[in-house]
Amino acid sequence: MEWLAPFLQNLTGGLLIGGIYALIGVGLSLIFGVMRIINFAHGEFVAVGMYTAIVLFQRLGMDPYVALLVAAPLGFVLGAALQRVVLHRLIDAPADSTLLATLGLALVLSNVLFLIFGAEPKSIYLPYATATVTLGGVRLPVAQLIAGAITLVVIVGLWLILTRTEVGRAVRATAQNRLGAELVGIDTPRIHALVFGIGMALAMCAGVILAPLLFAVPTVGSSYTLKAFVVTVLGGLGSVPGAIGGGLLLGVVEFLGASYLSSGYRDAYGLFAFLLILLLRPEGLFGRTVKRV
Amino acid sequence: MTGSPDRGPDAGAGPPPAAPSAAPGPASRALTPWLERGGAPWLGLAGVAAAGAAWYVVFPSSLSLGIGLLLLAGWASAWDLLGGWTGQTSLGHAAFVGLGAYVVGVTATKYGLAPWWSVLLAMALAAVLAFLWGRITFGLRGSYFVLSSIAVAEILRLIAINERKLTGGAIGLFIFDLDRPFGLDLFSRHTEFWLALGYLLLVLATTLLVTRGKLGYQMRAVREDEASAQAAGINPVSVKSLAFMLSAALTALGGCIYGIFLSALQPQPLFELHLSVRIALVAIIGGRGTLFGPLIGAAMLTLAGELFRNAFAEANLLIYGLLIVIVVLFVPRGLMGELRRRAVRRRYAKSAGG
Amino acid sequence: MKRVFVALLVGCLALLTATATAQETVKIGVITSLTGRFAEFGEQHKAGIQAALEDVNAAGGVNGAAVEVVFEDDISEVNAALTAGEKLVNQGLPLVMGAYSSGITNPLAQYFTRQQRPFLVFTSSDDAITRPGSDWIFRINQPSYAYAQVLFDVFDAINAERGAGTLKTVVTVHGNGAFESAVADAVDVIAAERGYTVLQRQDYDQAGADFRPILNRFKTLNPDILFMVSYAADSVALMRQVQEVGLDAKVFAGGAAGFALPGFIEGSGPAADYVFTATMWTKDVPYPGAQDLNARLSAILGRTPSYHAAQAYAAVITAVDVLKRAASFSPADVRAALLATNMPDTVYGPIRFEDYQGYKNQAPLPAVAEQVVNGDFVTVYVNGQVVGDLLETPSWNAR
Repeated sequence: MEWLAPFLQNLTGGLLIGGIYALIGVGLSLIFGVMRIINFAHGEFVAVGMYTAIVLFQRLGMDPYVALLVAAPLGFVLGAALQRVVLHRLIDAPADSTLLATLGLALVLSNVLFLIFGAEPKSIYLPYATATVTLGGVRLPVAQLIAGAITLVVIVGLWLILTRTEVGRAVRATAQNRLGAELVGIDTPRIHALVFGIGMALAMCAGVILAPLLFAVPTVGSSYTLKAFVVTVLGGLGSVPGAIGGGLLLGVVEFLGASYLSSGYRDAYGLFAFLLILLLRPEGLFGRTVKRV
Repeated sequence: MTGSPDRGPDAGAGPPPAAPSAAPGPASRALTPWLERGGAPWLGLAGVAAAGAAWYVVFPSSLSLGIGLLLLAGWASAWDLLGGWTGQTSLGHAAFVGLGAYVVGVTATKYGLAPWWSVLLAMALAAVLAFLWGRITFGLRGSYFVLSSIAVAEILRLIAINERKLTGGAIGLFIFDLDRPFGLDLFSRHTEFWLALGYLLLVLATTLLVTRGKLGYQMRAVREDEASAQAAGINPVSVKSLAFMLSAALTALGGCIYGIFLSALQPQPLFELHLSVRIALVAIIGGRGTLFGPLIGAAMLTLAGELFRNAFAEANLLIYGLLIVIVVLFVPRGLMGELRRRAVRRRYAKSAGG
Repeated sequence: MKRVFVALLVGCLALLTATATAQETVKIGVITSLTGRFAEFGEQHKAGIQAALEDVNAAGGVNGAAVEVVFEDDISEVNAALTAGEKLVNQGLPLVMGAYSSGITNPLAQYFTRQQRPFLVFTSSDDAITRPGSDWIFRINQPSYAYAQVLFDVFDAINAERGAGTLKTVVTVHGNGAFESAVADAVDVIAAERGYTVLQRQDYDQAGADFRPILNRFKTLNPDILFMVSYAADSVALMRQVQEVGLDAKVFAGGAAGFALPGFIEGSGPAADYVFTATMWTKDVPYPGAQDLNARLSAILGRTPSYHAAQAYAAVITAVDVLKRAASFSPADVRAALLATNMPDTVYGPIRFEDYQGYKNQAPLPAVAEQVVNGDFVTVYVNGQVVGDLLETPSWNAR
């Protein structure tokens, strides 16, 4: 049983990081589900979230978990504004156009971060960042536990909004059929702005949570965009519960792969899983059907 | 994916017009019928060759810049076979650039293979990779291909880093010695310049021939509407796969030249996402689905990059990003596509007017 | 006349062509990253070069001619560097030097070798630049091997102090860049030579900095030495996570730039204490004028200089010495003068170019080892000698 403790350690490690992947993936999947666009700038908003937390910490001494209260609304406003100014114009354009537009935005955002903060990595040093609690032989980092708890709260909150409120009904209606939703009087452009705002707020939250765990460089966004793609395809494009499952799965796959196989291929494990899913079950592990040619 | 950048009145039919620079002056009477039968693009190709030769004469001390430009133009034109003419955006073409460079590097340093064999091998491998990759994604409707393209390039980068025995890992691979085909020193910037020019012309000529042939019409049919294409008896998956294989092999060929040009290969710059983005961006700005668009885009970005080197160093992604957004929002057909649309409109207006 | 003609002919593209050169100065070409990802290091280079130019020109330049440096910015990209290299070669400069990143310097070295022009490397430390090297490539700074070597010297010294066999086993974690991989390779080689066992070696991709899976794995191996090779931010994340995971080793060793920068201590907090690091130059090295140069570089930069500035300083001093002795500025004569270089007491140490251990035209300088003590770097090993106390690392629970 000597293997069990390290295995449990790795499993929880994977689940904890997977929770954050889920948070990133949920936003991307929600946006795809409602707006049918692939948002290439998703990871960049995670990066913006990290830098927001860092700036608030360094300038105002604000604890990153308090900074969530600033970052989430900021992400919502930025996202909604971007949707209104750029993406709204492309609502009837081919899928490729919005994809390229968000790619352009991603490049702009990461370069702006570089111009403001420089290439040197930045991080937050919290005295309790290296603290751990031990539970049945498994060491759990306090910071990651807090991150997991926040992720849980945010996702439950999102689920409540989507299922229990009038706005949530409108969002789901728009996702199912935009034209139909418009016919029954739903202001779909407003719903789109709302959804994009929520997606970006989620991404920023993920960034804030990550700030004390990892560190920020201006180019970090693209790797999170890629992770978000993997998460959503694993779970099924457009499926919010699928994204949660996909996120946890990706975290565990990466962590176990890095622990038991080779850490050099850590990022490749998720990508292999991604290609495998496309080959065997393109609707995703938790999704329904996908159209084939 | 039904998205197409080019829905001009003549999309899907008729040959692409020549670049404006290639427009003949006072055409002689014997030349006119040939031009109207579709000779104009060939004249454009000759113009490109002449412009290349002129660069060689005028800027003998800026051959590296010229090689960079020609290769980028070649990659973007090869990308356009799939991305423009067939409507399948790829953000992973760096995979083929890196593949080409590494095949030359590995075969030359480990097995002493002559460069022409490694080039053929690289093109074949790229085509096989494209075929398998297409099998996984082209059958699916939606943006799966774009997503997978990033993933594949990323996986290749990680392989190049981790399979040290084969690729030299992160430290890289150094090409010290190569055979001299026909007594040519492949490491000389002069030879490389002419190779790169020849490569670009080959890609352009291939594009011209393919897009005028049966495959070209099928490619455009698939781009415009897959369901209708299928109804007309075209198998969209195999058309897309063929276009992808062609595009991949040609990109890898350019990658081979690039590998020799660098002669010190490292995974990071060869497989990185930014190279893929640059290739796609150049074609999109110049005009997808036009013969000379990618070349124009490459020339603009490369020369602007050199002239404003310092500005680009700090803000090249900002500039690229803004350019993408601007082109998507305001010039969705790209520069050449827009020029062509205007020309066609004028022609229609003229014929309608009298 | 020529410039006017070119300007008329090609308009804006005139920038690309070589400009006419004045006769009264001697020009040295420098290719470095003034902008882009590595701009920080380009700035350090610039400061060192500025200080060196003041000194050499005050001392009469090259046989009376003033020395000038032509900077070419490679914008941290290899293509721009090759374009710049071609430009400098075509300008006929007697000597060109560069660049920061090994990924840029390697292709440049290949190019200069093919052109048969001398090229002086002063910062890039990838072994491959001078091993196998070529007739035309000369390097002042220590190769990546030296980073591992000096730390193993420290391990040997600890074994000598506390009894043979105190330190036996090593685990290595390194970034997957060229430089980090090269140092990790050196660890494997030196460990085998000196009777240490490398239990495991793991690398990580630069994009992700979650080292927990690797560290959990290492923890089960109970290594004596944790050898880490990474750049600035990774070094901080690594030490924090080592503490978090509770990985206890008898020695923590950081074999790369990241661990020797002030940011490492600032970011890691108390976790940084007792870590041994390798560096290439400090103000405490026993070479003449080191303290003074450090003060001048601090004044130019307005902050603490890194060793890259000292390397650039040494490069210009060496280049001027070489050009003074060269029979003519032809590539062959400059190369002959480089080969004959013998500068026993520069501020960067004794500089001459030798062939040894498979290296070619490489200055055989040792590296320097430091230990972090109470949030400060203390130089502990220089020039083959222990110069400070080698403190024992307490376990994490005892801190």
